[in-house]
Amino acid sequence: MAGLLLSGTYDAEGFRTCSVTGLRIHRDVERYVKLFALTAVVALLIGGISAIFVALTRWEVIGLADPPAFYKWLSIHAWNLLIFWMVFMEVAILYIGGPLVLGRPLPAPKLAGVGYAVMLGAALMINHAIATTEAPDNAPLLTSYAPLPSPPLFYLGVVLFILGVIIAALPFFITIWREKQEHPNRSLPLVSFGAFITSIIALEALLGGLITYIPTFLWRIGVVEHIDAGWYRQMYWIIGHGSQQINLAAMITVWYFLTHVVGGAEVVSEKLSRTAFVLYLFFINMGAAHHLLADPGVHMSWKHWNTSYAVYGAVLASMIHAFAIPAGLEAGRRKRGLGGQGLFGWLWSAPWSNPVFSATALGIIMFGFIGGISGVVMGQTQLNLTWHNTLGVPGHFHGTVVLGTTLTFMALVYFALPVLFNRDLVFKPLARIQPYFYAVAMGLATIMLLYLGVLYGVPRRHPSVMSFPGTDFNFAAASPLFAIFGVAAILAIIAGASFLLVAVGSLLFGKRVENPALVMPPLISGGSDDRPIHEYSMQGTFTLTLIFLAVFAIVYAVNWYLLGRLWAIG
Amino acid sequence: MSSPLKPLEGNWWGLPANRHEKAWVRISVVWGLILFGWMVGWSFFGNQNQHGPTYRIEPAAYRAKLAAYREASTVTERGLRPAGEDVYIAAMRYGFDGLPVILKAGKTYRLHLTSYDVQHGFSIRPEHALSKQISLQLLPGYEWVIPMRFDEPGVYHVICNEFCGIGHRTMHGIFIVEE
Ligand code: HEM
Ligand SMILES: [Cu+2]
Ligand SMILES: [Cu+2]
Repeated sequence: MAGLLLSGTYDAEGFRTCSVTGLRIHRDVERYVKLFALTAVVALLIGGISAIFVALTRWEVIGLADPPAFYKWLSIHAWNLLIFWMVFMEVAILYIGGPLVLGRPLPAPKLAGVGYAVMLGAALMINHAIATTEAPDNAPLLTSYAPLPSPPLFYLGVVLFILGVIIAALPFFITIWREKQEHPNRSLPLVSFGAFITSIIALEALLGGLITYIPTFLWRIGVVEHIDAGWYRQMYWIIGHGSQQINLAAMITVWYFLTHVVGGAEVVSEKLSRTAFVLYLFFINMGAAHHLLADPGVHMSWKHWNTSYAVYGAVLASMIHAFAIPAGLEAGRRKRGLGGQGLFGWLWSAPWSNPVFSATALGIIMFGFIGGISGVVMGQTQLNLTWHNTLGVPGHFHGTVVLGTTLTFMALVYFALPVLFNRDLVFKPLARIQPYFYAVAMGLATIMLLYLGVLYGVPRRHPSVMSFPGTDFNFAAASPLFAIFGVAAILAIIAGASFLLVAVGSLLFGKRVENPALVMPPLISGGSDDRPIHEYSMQGTFTLTLIFLAVFAIVYAVNWYLLGRLWAIG
Repeated sequence: MSSPLKPLEGNWWGLPANRHEKAWVRISVVWGLILFGWMVGWSFFGNQNQHGPTYRIEPAAYRAKLAAYREASTVTERGLRPAGEDVYIAAMRYGFDGLPVILKAGKTYRLHLTSYDVQHGFSIRPEHALSKQISLQLLPGYEWVIPMRFDEPGVYHVICNEFCGIGHRTMHGIFIVEE
């Protein structure tokens, strides 16, 4: 382990120059990026194991776990994948976007170490609390909705984890502070800017988390007598949704980074891309109201205001990125003379056999078409009625955090293996197909979840729906879709395992590469003429985004049609 | 060269954007307005809006209300027939108090919904069409009054779709809509 973290040779000040990105990287930065990323991969492994139990219980032909075990596995699934895999990776991304891209040393490396230790300890505590849950406590799932009690150790673990993340983020904030002190007249690079926005959203979310979990912990241990379910839901979603926004902003930051380095993308409009990040900052916290659309206690106009706010602000921001990133690739590659003049030559000629590129590109496409569209649709106040707490909800967020963020973070690991760990990939043919394999299998599983939820009303968080004890009601009509889901889920789990095999295999047995540029050819430079980037054609991207809009409009219309057939409500 | 890895100097804000990018931003703004306009419009011209007042109420007080309502209703072997337009239902671990109930097709009822203990779901669909379904969230301490009018007769199934404990999956109730 220590050997993995310490590879590389540095100059007297502790820096080396990266042959792929051209960046000056400090030893401490590199070491902590690796440490956080490796820990994230371990969480992915644990979460992946839990996915077997979750998916094969829901596919009742197999029916792997009984209800108590199912709820524990589902909680393990949510916390290790959505929280630990993502958040450890995000701290690594903050260090990449901050000191690594800015070519600075890691300030206060001790804080990074303390933050890491607290996060790790808290993660173990949370897993332990889930695994040992006993009556009267219940497995927390992701949301630990009060007043249903979860183990006291669980709440405590969450509070500690939040504190650990805040500590681990401090070196990033110090970096940005010092950069601005030393260079007041220059703007952060876009990747650093994206990371900075991510960190502010994170801070808001984390403070919301403390406001939620400290009182809830006090209630659970009996210091506070009463906890209000409506209060809990409002407060919880500050972090519950805020943390998804961290995933989003971090993922988009990585998109700009990786499409540039391995695909030759450039930033077509700093103004628009940065405006989009700022829109996230201002608008997305209100958007968290979309979790309360089927709730009592909040008025329709409050629901409309907050969801429309999100539509205007956050969705607009995502639409801007949805254009800017492929357009960056298109214009950048045209400038470099890659792929000829045609509408899509730049796209077909992209390095699709490099898993860093393919995982990123598939992440962008799948996130937009599956996660993005479903999210906006279910976020419309009335449409939410047909989505709320059905399998359509996990369908939506497997479109975002799995097909989008997980694929993107996999790309980042594929990138880090040669570039930071100095390891060549093992099992190259497997690595080459893994992103496609994962995207297709998980995409199918996700679409089945969406159908099961919206067209059959199959509830989420249920170990079985093929029988309801004491009645003859069931969802057996949906079993063919469950069969497709089950098979696709098994394939997706195998695809996920393939990723782990390549990643861990490369770390342990990969050939050492002294010059990673040889195995990860960068496309950063090139392009002889000096025309400004916005003058290159972006027609291919425009065509693609129009196709996206058409699909969006169709899905939107179908959902309103489905709602309109129902009985009168309200 | 516009790299996302290099600090920016000079007046980058003043650089123009590509015409296609500008067009896309305009399209997106218009699309956002359409999404918003349709959603708000549906509150006025649409028939499905989860609109209705909420009152704070202790579970014990609600139990008393529900008992009085039951007194006033007709008890049949298939379920309660409410006397007026009000229908009281409460979720609890693991069942629905107040169900089964028999409703008249085409008549608008006020559904009073709450929970006695933890958070529950209230997920409804007619037996003959699983795709016609909606879900509401029920919270202890809150009485939500939502009007509903069922035009299609049949048996409607209610399940809980918010995790409420180990017995969550057994939570089921029905109501019957008659001509
Ligand atoms: C092959 C991979 C995966 C499969 C087959 C899978 C399958 C599922 C299924 C079927 C559910 C719904 C269970 C239910 O509500 O009854 C679920 C829930 C969930 N999954 Fe996954 N999943 C996978 C990967 C992931 C990843 C990578 C993440 C996060 C990055 C993730 C995050 C979640 C979360 C947060 C929930 C909700 C838990 C809750 O209800 O509290 N999953 N998963
Ligand atoms: Cu329930
Ligand atoms: Cu339940």
